[in-house]
Amino acid sequence: MKALLAKYGRIWLRTSAMALQAQLTYRLGSFGFLLGKMIRLFFFFAFMAAVFQHVETVAGYSLVETALFFMTFNLIDMTAQILFRCVYGARRTVNEGDFDFYLVQPCSPLFRMTCSTVDFLDVVTIIPVIVMTGMVFARLPPLGWENYAAYGLLMVNGVGLIYAIHILVAALAVRTQELESAIWIYRDVMFMGKFPMDVYAPAVRWALTVGIPIAVMTTFPAKALLGRLSAGWVVYALALTAAALPLSWMFWRASVARYTSSSS
Amino acid sequence: MKTYWVAYQIALQETLQRRSTLIMDRLGGFAVVVSLYSFWTALIGDKATFLGYTRAEMLTYVLALNILRSFVFTGRGWQLVGEISSGRISSYLIRPLSYHGYALALDLAQKTIHVAAAALEVGLLVLCVRGELFLPQDPATWVLFGVAALLSSLLFFFLEFMISSLAFWTSESGGPLFCFELFLQFAAGAFFPLDVLPAALRRALEATPFPYMVYFPVRIFLEKVPPLEGMRMLSMEALWLAAAYAAATTVWKRGMRSYAAEGG
Amino acid sequence: MAVAIETRGLTKDYRSPLKEPGLWGGVKSLFDRKYKDTRAVDAVSFRIEEGELVGFLGANGAGKTTTLKMLSGLLTPTAGSATALGRVPWKREADFQRSISLVMGQRSQLWWEIPAYETFKLNQAIYGLSDKDFREHLDELVDLLGLGEHLSVPVKKLSLGQRMRAELAAALLHRPRLLLLDEPTIGLDVVMQKNVREFIKAYNKRSGATIMLTSHNMTDVVELCRRVIVIEKGRLLYDGALDRLVERYADHKILRARFTAAVDPAELAELGVVVKYEDMTVSLEVPRVKIAASAAALLRTHPVADLNVEEVAIDDIVRRLFSHI
Repeated sequence: MKALLAKYGRIWLRTSAMALQAQLTYRLGSFGFLLGKMIRLFFFFAFMAAVFQHVETVAGYSLVETALFFMTFNLIDMTAQILFRCVYGARRTVNEGDFDFYLVQPCSPLFRMTCSTVDFLDVVTIIPVIVMTGMVFARLPPLGWENYAAYGLLMVNGVGLIYAIHILVAALAVRTQELESAIWIYRDVMFMGKFPMDVYAPAVRWALTVGIPIAVMTTFPAKALLGRLSAGWVVYALALTAAALPLSWMFWRASVARYTSSSS
Repeated sequence: MKTYWVAYQIALQETLQRRSTLIMDRLGGFAVVVSLYSFWTALIGDKATFLGYTRAEMLTYVLALNILRSFVFTGRGWQLVGEISSGRISSYLIRPLSYHGYALALDLAQKTIHVAAAALEVGLLVLCVRGELFLPQDPATWVLFGVAALLSSLLFFFLEFMISSLAFWTSESGGPLFCFELFLQFAAGAFFPLDVLPAALRRALEATPFPYMVYFPVRIFLEKVPPLEGMRMLSMEALWLAAAYAAATTVWKRGMRSYAAEGG
Repeated sequence: MAVAIETRGLTKDYRSPLKEPGLWGGVKSLFDRKYKDTRAVDAVSFRIEEGELVGFLGANGAGKTTTLKMLSGLLTPTAGSATALGRVPWKREADFQRSISLVMGQRSQLWWEIPAYETFKLNQAIYGLSDKDFREHLDELVDLLGLGEHLSVPVKKLSLGQRMRAELAAALLHRPRLLLLDEPTIGLDVVMQKNVREFIKAYNKRSGATIMLTSHNMTDVVELCRRVIVIEKGRLLYDGALDRLVERYADHKILRARFTAAVDPAELAELGVVVKYEDMTVSLEVPRVKIAASAAALLRTHPVADLNVEEVAIDDIVRRLFSHI
C-alpha cells in the first residue's frame, strides 16, 4: 500500500513538473487564460458589490454572507480544477490515442485521465481567492469551532463529489467519442452554485440538492459555517459522496471494458 | 452563393448528428439562464422594481438573453484557431471561395439550430413561471430589435474573427481569445444588465462596441430606449460593425501574407 | 520453448451508428439511431513461441491493429480467448503490463512540447525502474538508436525519424519481453526505415524478446520475419514460413531477355504477360509449368542476346496476394 502510494506520488510529481514545463512554453496563451480567469473573478465580485449598493439582503443573506457563498464556491471549484485538470482534455486524450498508452502501462488509467497534471494557472488564480476569502472571514461574526469543522469537512466532501462527476465525464469520453466534452455542461451547471441556494424556486432548489447535487458541493459548506445547515443534511452530504464515488468508479470500469479505441 | 448554401446545409446536418453535444450545450446554457433569473427574482423580492426593471421586465431580460446568447455568441473563432494551427486552412485558401463567407454559412447553421432550441426553452420557461412577461405592442420595436440583433451577431462574428486571426502569428492565440470572450460576455451585459454598475464604469463601457451586443438590443425590446435615441444607437452599432469588418479583413489579409511568407 | 502468445477463436465486433443521408436523416437520428455491427476480427487462433519475430500481414482494415490491441490489453474481445506471457491481457495486471510494450507508428506517447527525456523519466516512475536500471537501459538504447543530443530537444522540434527512435526508446526502457509493433516504419524515409529495422532485429537477438509486427512495407517483413501470419477480413488466411507463402502463391516465374534488335512486343505477348519492355529488354511473366517451353520458343523466334529465369520478388507476391483479396 505504502509502496503504491509512493509510486503514484512520484508519477504525480513527474507529470505535474512536465505540465509546468509545457505550460511555460506557451507564455502568451497562458497569460490570456490567466487574465480571463481574473477578469471573471473581478467582474463577479464587482457585480455582487454593486448589487448590494441597491439592496440590504438577498434571500435573507447580507453582503458578507453572499460573498462567503461566492468565495467558498470559488475555493472548491478551483481546488477541483487544479487537481482534476486533465479531465478537460479527456476527449483529446482518447481521440489522439494517448489513452491507448495509458491502458497498456502499469498505472491506473483513471488516475492518469483525471488527476495526473496540475494546472499552474489555477494555482496562481487561487491565491487572490484565498486572500479574499480571508477578508470575508474576518468580517463574519465569531463562530464556534464546530462550524469551522463542518465547513472544512463539507469542503473536502464537496471536492470528493466533484471527483465522482469527473470520473463520470472521463468515462463518457471513453465510451462515446462523439461527446464534445461533457465537462463543459458541468462547468455551466456549476454556475448555479455561485449563489446561495435560497435564491432558487423550491423545485429548482430541490433539484440542485437531490438531483444534480451542486448545492452539496458548493453551498453546503458555507451554510454549515453560518449554522444554517441541519445535522441531517450533513449526513446526507457525506452519504451522497460515499455512494457516488464507487458508483462512478463502476461506470468507469464498464466504459473501459467497452472501449473501442479510435482506428489509427 | 450555392456553395455557401450547401455548406450551410451540411453544417446543419452535422450539428444535428452530434446530438449529445447539442443537448449538453443547451442544458448548460439553460442552467445559466435559470440561475440568473432566480438571482434577479430574489433581488427584486417584494419590491415593485429594481434598478428600474419590473419583475416582468427582468424575466424578459433573462429570456431574451437566452435567445441572444444563441444568436450572437456562436462564432467560429475556435474553429479558425484550430484550422490555422493545424494548417488545414490551406485547403480552403486554394478553393474559389471566401473563407469569411464559408465560416459565416457554418455559423448561420449553428445559429439556426441554437436559436430554435433557445426559443423552445424560452417557451418552456414561460409555461413554468406563467404570464408576467413583457411583450412590446409596437411592431416597430420588434423590427428594431431584429435589426439590432442582426448587427450584434455580425459584430461579434467579425470581432471574434479578428482576435482568432492572431493564430496566423502565434500558436497560442487560444489564450487571448478565451480572455476576450469572457470579458466580452460581461461587458455586453450577457450576465447582468449594465445598469447595476457604477455610473462611471457604465459610461466607460458604453464607449466600447460591447454593450451593443446584448444590453442594447434587450433594452430596445423592453422599450427602454426612446425611438430617436434608438436610431442613433443603431447607427452607432452599424459604425462599430463597419469598423470591426474593416479591422477583421485587414488583420486577415496581413495574417495571410505572413502565413504564406513562412510557408504555412 | 515457452509459449509467448496463444489465441483461440479471438473475435472482436465494433458497433457504429448508421448515418442516414440528408437533413431529414439528421433530424431523425436525433431521436432514433440505428447501429451496425462490424466484425473486425473473426475467430483467429494462433500460437507464438517466446523469442519469435512474427510478421502480421493484411490489407487495410483486415483486423491487424485490432488484434494487436487485444493482445496488449487495450481492447476486450467480443468472444474467444487469448493469453500473452501466460496472462489474459485485458485484465491489465501490473506485472503483465511491465513486461510488454506497444508501439504504434502513427501514435506518440512522447509529450510534444518538452524534451523526450522527460517522458522517459515519467516512464521510469510508471514502470518503477530504479535509477541504476534506468540509466543502464537508457544508455544502451541511446547507443543502439543513436539518439544522443536529441533527448534534450522539445519533441516537436525533432524530425519524424528522430521522433520514431525516441518513441522506440520510450517503449523499450523497461525491457519488455513482448513487443507489439504496429507500422513502426510508416512515414519514414528509406534510410530511416533501414535503421529502425536493424534496431528491431538487434533488439530481438539481444534480449530474446518476442516481437509481433505489422507493416505495409514488405521490405520490413521480408528482412525481419521468417514467419508470417496473414489475415483477411478478420479471418486467418495463412500462418507459416514466409518462404512457403511464396511457393504457395508464386505460380509464375520471370523470363528476362535482352535482344540484339528491336522486336514487336505484340509477338512477345503470345509467350507470356509482358511486365516491362524497354531498351530492347523484356520481362515476361510465365506460368511455372510452361517456363521451359516459353524459353525455347523465345530463343527460336527472336534475336536473343541474353536470357535469364528469375523468381518473382517476395514483396510482389505479397502485394499481389493483397490485391487479389
